[in-house]
Amino acid sequence: MTTTITETDTNTWLLEELALVWAGFEIQLSRVPIVGRIETHTATIDDYRNLLLNLRQQVSEGARWITRAASNLTAEHADLRAEFIEHASEEQLDFRMLEEDYVAVGGSLDEIQNRRKNPGSEALSAYMFNQASGENPFDLLGAMYIIEGLGANKATRWMELLRDQLDLGTHQVRFLTYHGGADTEHTEKMFAILRSDLITPELAESIVHTARVVARLYTLQLEEIDGG
Amino acid sequence: MTESAYITGVGAFLPGEPIGNDEIETYLGVIPTSSDRLRRRMLEANGIEKRHFAIDRSGDTTILNEEMAAEAVRAALQGRGMTAKDAGMLATGTTQADLPVPGFASMVHGRLGGGPMEILSAGGVCCSGMAALGAVTDAIRLGRHRVGVSVGSELVSRTLRADRFASDPGFDAEFLRYMLSDGSGAVVVEPEPRSDGISLRIDWSHLVSHAHRFPVCMYAGVSAPDRVEAGSTWQDQPTPALAHADGMLNLRQDIGILSNIVALGVEEYVGLVRQGRIEPTEIDHLLVHYSSEYFRSDIVRLMSEAGLMIPEDRWFTNLRTRGNTGAASIYIMLEEAWSTGRFRPGDRVLLMVPESGRFSVAFVHLTCVDGKEEK
Repeated sequence: MTTTITETDTNTWLLEELALVWAGFEIQLSRVPIVGRIETHTATIDDYRNLLLNLRQQVSEGARWITRAASNLTAEHADLRAEFIEHASEEQLDFRMLEEDYVAVGGSLDEIQNRRKNPGSEALSAYMFNQASGENPFDLLGAMYIIEGLGANKATRWMELLRDQLDLGTHQVRFLTYHGGADTEHTEKMFAILRSDLITPELAESIVHTARVVARLYTLQLEEIDGG
Repeated sequence: MTESAYITGVGAFLPGEPIGNDEIETYLGVIPTSSDRLRRRMLEANGIEKRHFAIDRSGDTTILNEEMAAEAVRAALQGRGMTAKDAGMLATGTTQADLPVPGFASMVHGRLGGGPMEILSAGGVCCSGMAALGAVTDAIRLGRHRVGVSVGSELVSRTLRADRFASDPGFDAEFLRYMLSDGSGAVVVEPEPRSDGISLRIDWSHLVSHAHRFPVCMYAGVSAPDRVEAGSTWQDQPTPALAHADGMLNLRQDIGILSNIVALGVEEYVGLVRQGRIEPTEIDHLLVHYSSEYFRSDIVRLMSEAGLMIPEDRWFTNLRTRGNTGAASIYIMLEEAWSTGRFRPGDRVLLMVPESGRFSVAFVHLTCVDGKEEK
């Protein structure tokens, strides 16, 4: 399965390659202890609290790296810059919803706001800010593919599983609920860009590379929930 | 030079009357620790509305697995105007035969009659039916036989009865009661298309295991998937009763790693597209054996995002009305699609069967031909 870009259309190659990265990401996720417990109906309320506790810093930084990336888009990409800023603006207060969920399941606001990033979150965050700091960092579409994909494909599922296992009310799972719905829209916008003529063979390769790195670092962030 | 291979006849057998969701426990009995909510959610997720059980309301088995298989084979041969005497080969696929010994194909051949024939018992789970079809296809292509039959058959209900669980079955075994059911299906394979109607040319088949990458997912015979070691299987226990007490005899599925099957299916599918073996826009009928409607949305999303979607109006499944019959499912789907006139000459048909046992997946690519026109 070593098809090269030159043998096929660049957008086609990119989308197929991203699907393969996603498949690999799903396989990695299935080996993460907390994901396994959620899927097998054996998660505890501590698991849910730890999940929120460990996601909060990364969620609160999402708008920061997207706007940093936006600030590094040059004039010819002003339209996309506007889309990036709009996206960041929509998501920038999501972390408050997450904090409220945490408090609603018995967590302390002070604790979640001051919690240090786990080692996986540190690596993920450092990588995102690093990539966002270069000129026209379109390779971050690969990061969006993974992170928005999680929202669109996993957030609702995990929300339903946790709600059922732990008898949670809707006011306790607002972040995962909202994330599952909102990311479907963001995903559509992202795919429009991935199918556009912005994508050169060189960019396609760097998008796939970044997607692969972000998938691994996100997995590490989730693994560290049990490792910390 | 190798011959071509055509599916020239199909047959299916479903035991008893269709059984609705609210009757499942009438047949399988009630598990005291079970929750209504679990049952409801599982049925919502798998989307199954009707299924067939080869047991009656008392839990007594009404027909053997090998008898169901023989019925499907007879129906397929009869549809082709043939009998068992015409068949030179019989290949079978089933998850759990009636007897551990001898092989299932021997027992089906015994029920079926006919003359001496080559037999093959393919073991495994859902892919075993596709392995049987692949073996018959190869035998026909190599010119070893003029007529071959393959069959997929399952009788799982008897192992899902409440009294078969020594204690609380656990989620990994209990949810299978709402998902699995019984039935069989068969096809006739020949080197020429039939002259009196349509046949399906077998263009290629592809069956691949990824057990080297993944642990066991669907299993029986040990108490847990990570306990596969010398001395710990059901056959190593001092008495069968102890194996039963430890839940070793119950079929289980590790639902925590099940979603790997979708990832694996996507990997193989993208690979086949890139090899030029599947052209998504040219597939007229996609028959996929997925265990639950839940997976369908996942598959649709991944295929659409990757630009590899086969439009949903070209998908055909009878999971809702016939249930998930494991190795038999793809045959039961093919039989219904064929007998309800869905296939037209020139149509391309793709069969896909993922298996969670230890993660494998099988594809078969078919082209519908009209024998009258080909002559």
